[in-house]
Amino acid sequence: MTSPTDPGARARMPGRRLTEPLEALAQRVARQAVELVVEALDVNALLDQVDVNRLIDRVDVDQLVARVDVDAILDRVDVDRLVDRVDVDALLDRTEIRSVLSRSSSTIASEGIDLVRSQAVGLDDFIARWVSRLRRRSYSGPPALPGSPARHGSPALPGSPSLQAGQ
Amino acid sequence: MTATAAASAAAAQPRLRDHYAGFASRFAGYAVDLGVSTGLFMLALAAISFAASVLTGDSIHWNKSEGWVAVAFVAWQFVYYAYSWAANGKTFGMALLGIRVVRAGGGDAGAGRAVLRTLAFPLSFLLLGLGFAGIVLGRDRRALHDVIAGTAVIYTWDARSARLGFLHRDGPGG
Repeated sequence: MTSPTDPGARARMPGRRLTEPLEALAQRVARQAVELVVEALDVNALLDQVDVNRLIDRVDVDQLVARVDVDAILDRVDVDRLVDRVDVDALLDRTEIRSVLSRSSSTIASEGIDLVRSQAVGLDDFIARWVSRLRRRSYSGPPALPGSPARHGSPALPGSPSLQAGQ
Repeated sequence: MTATAAASAAAAQPRLRDHYAGFASRFAGYAVDLGVSTGLFMLALAAISFAASVLTGDSIHWNKSEGWVAVAFVAWQFVYYAYSWAANGKTFGMALLGIRVVRAGGGDAGAGRAVLRTLAFPLSFLLLGLGFAGIVLGRDRRALHDVIAGTAVIYTWDARSARLGFLHRDGPGG
């Protein structure tokens, strides 16, 4: 917009009157020319001529990566919001982690109890063997309750070596 | 160890179920029970103390030398052992160690024998611990309180089964 107080405005008025239509004409001509060129252009043929591998070879990836400011990118990432969007329960449901964890816990507990019992039985056997030795008697393992299948049906107890092997 | 060798080792394991339990298993079970029963008693005292302080505003400090605390402790011990042996033949510690109180001839101890065993239990201590000598020296591994109550303590778990359980868990399908 020209100011009424601008002394050069009046002098520029005839020139502007001439250049504005010419500019508009030039833009129309350029647009038409570009459309004609684009229509005439075979993009596939053009791409066929481009050697992509050679192009990639010329790219210095290290230099490209060096120019990337990873810290700045990470600063822009809202990790809390990202984590909030992750449905951990759904994720765990898709895996067998829960069943594996519960199975592992019960297995560890069971093995722990078996271990404690085995240690105690080993010690029972150790004490009994030493007492038998002091009393000059043979020891063939702990006696079974009368009338129990262990007394009648089970094989003879092999004694301490096998007991200790089971610990 | 290969699966075959492990299976052979498992087959060579003695079956412990229904055999008389030894001194170490019984003593370990008793130690666990002593800890558990004493812990529960202390917890109960703390709960009573807390409740009293909330209701009356005065805090209660328990003293071991107070007669009624000792009586309450003895009564609690009686209930703990008698009830456990009468209900299923084992206390918590005995269950952990895989041992159980039964009648001397086999079968459940029953309430009467459980109460009698609990009452006779201190006798084994009072005779300078000689009441426990039967566990080490006797053929049936019975302590004095076992003889008085007509009971015995046996293993309720099976070393061979436990071993096979390990193999099952560690095996290709387990």
